[in-house]
Amino acid sequence: MKKLITCLLTATLLVTTATGCSGNGLSAGSATSGKILYIVTDLNDTFRATLSEEIQAQASAQGVTLDMVETGNSVEEQAAQVAQAKSAGYSAIILRLSDASTALQMNVASNGLPIIYVNNQPDDEHLSADEFIFVGSDEEQAGQYQAEYVLNKLGNPASMDVIIFEGEEGHSGTIGRTDSVKENLKESGCDVNYVFVDYANWSDTEAQAKFDIFMKTGQNVDAIFCNNDTMALGVIEGMKEHGLDYSKIPVCGVDATSDGCASIEAGEMSFTVLQNAEGQASAAVHAASVLASGDSIKSVENATEDCKYIFVPFESVDSSNVSQYK
Amino acid sequence: MYLWDKRFHKGEKVSKMAKQSEKKKKIRKISTKLISRILPIVAVTILVLVIVSATLAKNRMTEMANETLESSISNQGDNIESWLGKNLQYFGTVKHVIESQNMTDDETVEVLNSFYSYNSNVPNGMYIGTSEGELITAEESTFEESDVLSSTWYLQGITRVDMAYGTAHKDADGNTVISATGILDLEGDDIKVLAADVPLDSISVIVNSGVKMTDASSFLVDTNDNTILAHRDSSLVSTTLDTSNSDKLLSGAAQKLVDKDYTTSEIGDYVVAFKEISGTDWILISYIPSSIILKTVTQMGNLLSLIGLVALIIIVLAILYVVKKVIAPLGLITNHITAMSEGDFTIDVDVDSNDEIGIMAGKVTDFVSSMRGMLTSISDESEKLRSESDNSDRVSKIMYDASQSQSEAMKQLNETVDQLATAVNDIAQNATTLATVVSDTRENSDKANESMKETVLISKKGRSDMEQLSVAMREIQAANTELVESINSVGTASEEITKIVGMIGEIAEETNLLSLNASIEAARAGEAGKGFAVVAMEIGKLAQTSAESAQNIASLIGEVRKLIDRAVGQANASAESIQENGELIQVAVGTFDQIYTNIEESNHLIEAMIEDVGKVDDVATNVAAITEEQAASAEEILATSESMVEMADDITKSSQDVADNSNELADTSHTLTSYVKKFKI
Repeated sequence: MKKLITCLLTATLLVTTATGCSGNGLSAGSATSGKILYIVTDLNDTFRATLSEEIQAQASAQGVTLDMVETGNSVEEQAAQVAQAKSAGYSAIILRLSDASTALQMNVASNGLPIIYVNNQPDDEHLSADEFIFVGSDEEQAGQYQAEYVLNKLGNPASMDVIIFEGEEGHSGTIGRTDSVKENLKESGCDVNYVFVDYANWSDTEAQAKFDIFMKTGQNVDAIFCNNDTMALGVIEGMKEHGLDYSKIPVCGVDATSDGCASIEAGEMSFTVLQNAEGQASAAVHAASVLASGDSIKSVENATEDCKYIFVPFESVDSSNVSQYK
Repeated sequence: MYLWDKRFHKGEKVSKMAKQSEKKKKIRKISTKLISRILPIVAVTILVLVIVSATLAKNRMTEMANETLESSISNQGDNIESWLGKNLQYFGTVKHVIESQNMTDDETVEVLNSFYSYNSNVPNGMYIGTSEGELITAEESTFEESDVLSSTWYLQGITRVDMAYGTAHKDADGNTVISATGILDLEGDDIKVLAADVPLDSISVIVNSGVKMTDASSFLVDTNDNTILAHRDSSLVSTTLDTSNSDKLLSGAAQKLVDKDYTTSEIGDYVVAFKEISGTDWILISYIPSSIILKTVTQMGNLLSLIGLVALIIIVLAILYVVKKVIAPLGLITNHITAMSEGDFTIDVDVDSNDEIGIMAGKVTDFVSSMRGMLTSISDESEKLRSESDNSDRVSKIMYDASQSQSEAMKQLNETVDQLATAVNDIAQNATTLATVVSDTRENSDKANESMKETVLISKKGRSDMEQLSVAMREIQAANTELVESINSVGTASEEITKIVGMIGEIAEETNLLSLNASIEAARAGEAGKGFAVVAMEIGKLAQTSAESAQNIASLIGEVRKLIDRAVGQANASAESIQENGELIQVAVGTFDQIYTNIEESNHLIEAMIEDVGKVDDVATNVAAITEEQAASAEEILATSESMVEMADDITKSSQDVADNSNELADTSHTLTSYVKKFKI
């Protein structure tokens, strides 16, 4: 009997050891092995700029050497940067893809270095446990918060006319947030009439221009969902121009940028969701350190069971709590 | 013998018991045993192998099929996406051309004309609906729309600027189409929606012909209203996919869409994979009957089972063959050993095998041949022993007869000696009487004259007496010679006896050696030779007893010979004495004659005679003394001959013993021979 138990325990131990995705995670900040390369397209987007700042701050806070490279939208440049990272002495890469569909190429080019994708989420099939992971927020959560807020604000109406301004086509944030809004509205039982759904590529001007066109259609609108704050602010401008009452027609954004928060405080935008740049940056740098030393992200906060994702939660921001996020 | 018998009976009893227990034990063949033990193990092993392989194969093949299906649907999805994207890009280009030129309606028609029939996927060409309710189409287009503002494509179009596909709807011709629509971004306040109808048939062709997996099918569903956009079964196209559908596949797929669970799974008898078509709200659903996937598995399972069965049969045949080829000789050997245990050593084990069984058979053959040789030699030896013991029996009988006749001869000798003694006594008495007479004669010599006549008479009588004595002496001499001869013949007989006894001794020794050999062989034979060992031991003992008896006889005969020698010596001595007596008697006869002559002649010479009588007196006295000595000697001879008689009797008795022993030896060798004859060799 004792032998049997010993055997079982040994077997369990072996299995546990063999399974990379488990146990003995390193505690925060203890991993200081090697340098980390941070590749980012550009800092034009408010959130991206904030995220980059935070990543650099978190790196120095965690005592990790981190070099940042801006590649613009060139996939080739990104691939080249990834390919030379190993020989340049980096032990992990944090990468904001210019195109989410190129993840597989980056994985191959990395020469075995772990890649922590941020901000632009690759396909699940191109991620692998403790090697190629994504640190971000669960986009669907943002959409869910928006939908819940609107439904609540409008008192769970039987039907409503809805506008959705989407980010760039094919972007994980665009798809996740939009789908989640639609899904949650559908589930609520509300008869939703989408009077305008179009891409505005995260841009306030494009959002405003398309809002103008929408206005020409003469349709009614009860709520406006935007995939980010910037577009929401553009919509607010449009509404101002067309004299729509944004206190009755809620305009929702995502990211809780400072402009967005200011707009909420000013009583224009109704709602935004904080994509926690600091939390994402911290998690990304931490995960990079952990993976660089060959450990599992299992122990890292908010890591998923399959060790492919670290989802830093969104936070709802409206007039009641906006002051905390300024 | 008794002990041997007891053993023999006991042995019989044991073998009987063994036979009984053999009958009770059911004989099972080695091949049956092997098959009954090996077959279930092999069968179970094969079964487990088949099950495990089939299970593993099923899992792996299902996995592979799933992967293939997923790969197929992904590829197909990409194709559809790319097809849609290509068309959309084309529509976008047209839209961009119209927008960038900020055209009048006529110019716009020109553009529409120029793009008309450029894209075969858009049979009606692109057209524009305005917020004024106007419809602008290419000139060649037959497209009509009675109420632009309430048309599905227009209502879809006013919800976006970028061209995008809407939900399926029927056009004026009754075809189910999907419209790609978008608001033209033009100056002015009126809305112009650019639209292009893609017939679902075109999409169906793309969907149905894009399946990359054999036997798999696909259909396309719009998740906005769960409309089937494309299906191999055209009757299902543009119907709604409902969870209450009677078709398990359709209802199951509908449920999966409701659950937003797009993982590959088994629904009803199908394996179903899902793929979201990006840029649209469409889901491509691909399915393949599980039976097709499992068909290969079943085929493999059947094949494995068949192989297993064949293997099983081969194993059975192999076992039977091996048993026949390798173990079957055991049966032969068993039969032979059984025959051997019944005493049959005529068997010939011939096994052509180089394994342990072959060695066993070889050893059994060796054993049989060695046993056969041993038994043959024992048989020969016992035959020889029997003839020798018969011979010894006969010889001992002869010896017995000889000793008996010797004894009789001795008795005769004894009687003769007795007579001799009596005669000698008579002589002694006569001599004494003579002496007395002579003495009287001397005393009466004075009266001799008167008694002359009387004297003449007396001397006459004396002469005749002397003659008689002489005759008796001759008789004694003859008897003595006869005695010597008899004694000598006894000696010869006893020499013969000694020879015979020596022969008996040799025979006994040989027998003893034989019995020793027999014991050794019996010991080699083991259990089977145990009875025989007892016989050999008994024979050994008898041989020893025979040897001892022969020894006894030899020593007795030796003594007899010594006595005979002594008797011969003494007889010779007495012969000499008798010779001397004879001579003296002859002298006395002569003297008597002279006396008689003198008496006759010299009546007158009585005086002289009286002197002579004195001389006669001396002689007579001497004769008396001598005859007395003779008598004593005769007595001694008698005693000796009596003891000889006793000894001859002893010899007779001993030879009787020898005869008895050799008789017993003959009996034993007979028994031995009969026992040996029990073995067949």
